[in-house]
Amino acid sequence: MSNVRYKLHPVSAFINFMKSLKELIIPFLVIFGVNIFREGGISAMFNEGWVGLLPLIIGLAVVLMSLVIGIVKWKRFVYWFEDGELRIEYGLFVKKKRYIPFERIQSLNYTEGIFHRPFDLVKVKVETAGSSKAGEAEAELTAIKRADADRIETEMEKAKYPAVPAMGPHEAVTETAEESAAPQKKELKTLYRMSMKELLILATTSGGIGVVISAVGVFLSQFSELIPYEAIYEEVMLFLRFGYLIVALAVFAGLLVAWVISVILTLLANYQFTIQVDDDHIYITRGLLEKKKVSVPFKRIQGIKVSRNPLRELFGYGVVTVESAGGSMGAKDEKIRLFPLVKTADMLPVLRELFPDMEFEPELTKAPKRSVHFYYRLDFIWMLPVIGALGYYFYPYGLLSLLIVPPVIAVGIWQHRTAGYALTGKQLTMEFRGFSKHTFYAWKKRVQAVNVSQTYFQRKRELASIQATIKSGMLGYTARLTYMEKDDASRILEWYQPSPRRIKQKDQPE
Amino acid sequence: MDNQPKNRISRKGLTVWRLYGIIETIILALLAIGAGVLTYFLDWPVWLYAVYAGIVVLFAFLFIYLFPKIRWQRWRYEVREQEIELQHGLFIVKRTLVPMVRVQHVDTEQGPILRRYDLAEITISTAATTHTIPALITSEADELRGMISALARVAEDDV
Repeated sequence: MSNVRYKLHPVSAFINFMKSLKELIIPFLVIFGVNIFREGGISAMFNEGWVGLLPLIIGLAVVLMSLVIGIVKWKRFVYWFEDGELRIEYGLFVKKKRYIPFERIQSLNYTEGIFHRPFDLVKVKVETAGSSKAGEAEAELTAIKRADADRIETEMEKAKYPAVPAMGPHEAVTETAEESAAPQKKELKTLYRMSMKELLILATTSGGIGVVISAVGVFLSQFSELIPYEAIYEEVMLFLRFGYLIVALAVFAGLLVAWVISVILTLLANYQFTIQVDDDHIYITRGLLEKKKVSVPFKRIQGIKVSRNPLRELFGYGVVTVESAGGSMGAKDEKIRLFPLVKTADMLPVLRELFPDMEFEPELTKAPKRSVHFYYRLDFIWMLPVIGALGYYFYPYGLLSLLIVPPVIAVGIWQHRTAGYALTGKQLTMEFRGFSKHTFYAWKKRVQAVNVSQTYFQRKRELASIQATIKSGMLGYTARLTYMEKDDASRILEWYQPSPRRIKQKDQPE
Repeated sequence: MDNQPKNRISRKGLTVWRLYGIIETIILALLAIGAGVLTYFLDWPVWLYAVYAGIVVLFAFLFIYLFPKIRWQRWRYEVREQEIELQHGLFIVKRTLVPMVRVQHVDTEQGPILRRYDLAEITISTAATTHTIPALITSEADELRGMISALARVAEDDV
């Protein structure tokens, strides 16, 4: 074997350093922040001789230390390929070795940060099924040349498809020969590229509701002039209106700033969002400043979720999330978003191409009519006391809280109208709504457990709630349909049950 | 939906739950006594004593008598060749179906109280969920554990 030990690019020392600096910011702010409030402020630090400068000295020492640590970490880090494994040796004081068999590697995810760009480097995250800590990859190569990253991939292909006898003991041949030795490596096919228009819509609608609400607040505060009893409470109202306006404006301004920031962040993160596929992986590339490439093996995909918030639903847009087992990506909010935002019409062909065995628009069996009041009945438990208390203590304005009742009921009815499921062969589809509408698709073989529950009241009305759990990330994702027909629940149980039911009406094993 | 799983958990499980209920009631009673002492020394209204006593009695009735009884009556399980079916719940009756091929591992566990009654609880884990059968005779639990792990072979389409 050619056991060439590869090092990371020197830039990674710098990146390590920056990373630890980032973590130091908060403690530093605390230390110096405290000093500002001390007698004499910051300047006092320089008047007290070396004792006053102590925090500064310590700070500098810490910064220097982290620089040295960054360099040593880079010096110590080596990786090589041996016996079909990716082997890594690293560690500051304690030398650690980590051997990862290539077959166990699920995916290599690439990130290009701003420091990587000028040198054409990438950060590589190696993902396995059971990454040791949630949210952390099994191994991370801070910065390596693109060619080196490609080499890891070819080595991996070689280990996975060992055949090809032509490869003798002379492994250290040229790259091109290796490439041809792994013919399984398929051409990438680009399925979808996000348009600028969609990107803009995504950015502007993602945090939009708060802004809308506060805009309404400002509008309403202007409106209070029209309320007739102003004359009676003139002074009070004047103050109220004034205070109200300022608060509303401040909130609005704050939200606007937050929104603009979130728009910019979303734009940067999702710039040039592209989906590509080869035989066994989906590759998602995105980002402007920090370019990320995530790969998801088809094998690991457990289910698909399409979410549409009301605003986007209105315009026919949706978000598609892929629930994939294991890996660190699922642990953060960085769920694997297959489409951050897409028109339903554009999404379906791509989804069909990706998952040919999946039916994306099956006919849903809806929740029965009689279950509709279940959807808002429980809300009265908290609404009645709240309204009662408000109405009593803040009479008469408190009674305005009654206005909350119709929207709550409307949402309940809306949820009821959305709820539905479909069983199509080996696939379970569930559609439900909290406020956003979610459509959940899962293969039968991926469902970990099915759960049917009935409360006392549901039993009386022959209703039942159904939930199905699939594995997602390190944990599970549970889709839940409430207040469905009891017979539908039985049907799902029966569909899910591997062996025929005990009362053998059908002896179809599946 | 209508045909329940056929096995019940051990009758002794009911006794253990009652025991838990008694322990909880004792703790609550201690709290109530504490409140009573406060009431005495701080001259709070006398009817508070009745409230404390009432709460303790009600709690005792619910957690020693009623809830364990309903829970025990409702708890059913069945381990078949290809799946495990569970039913439990106090107010909400839950039915769970776990295919054997999804089972990743089985644990049995025994606390001091359970051991005294020769009981064990058995926990079935899939990749994403865990399910517990709370009180089985130890030998039965061991047998079941062996059976489940024998039946739960690695399937082709595992996660």
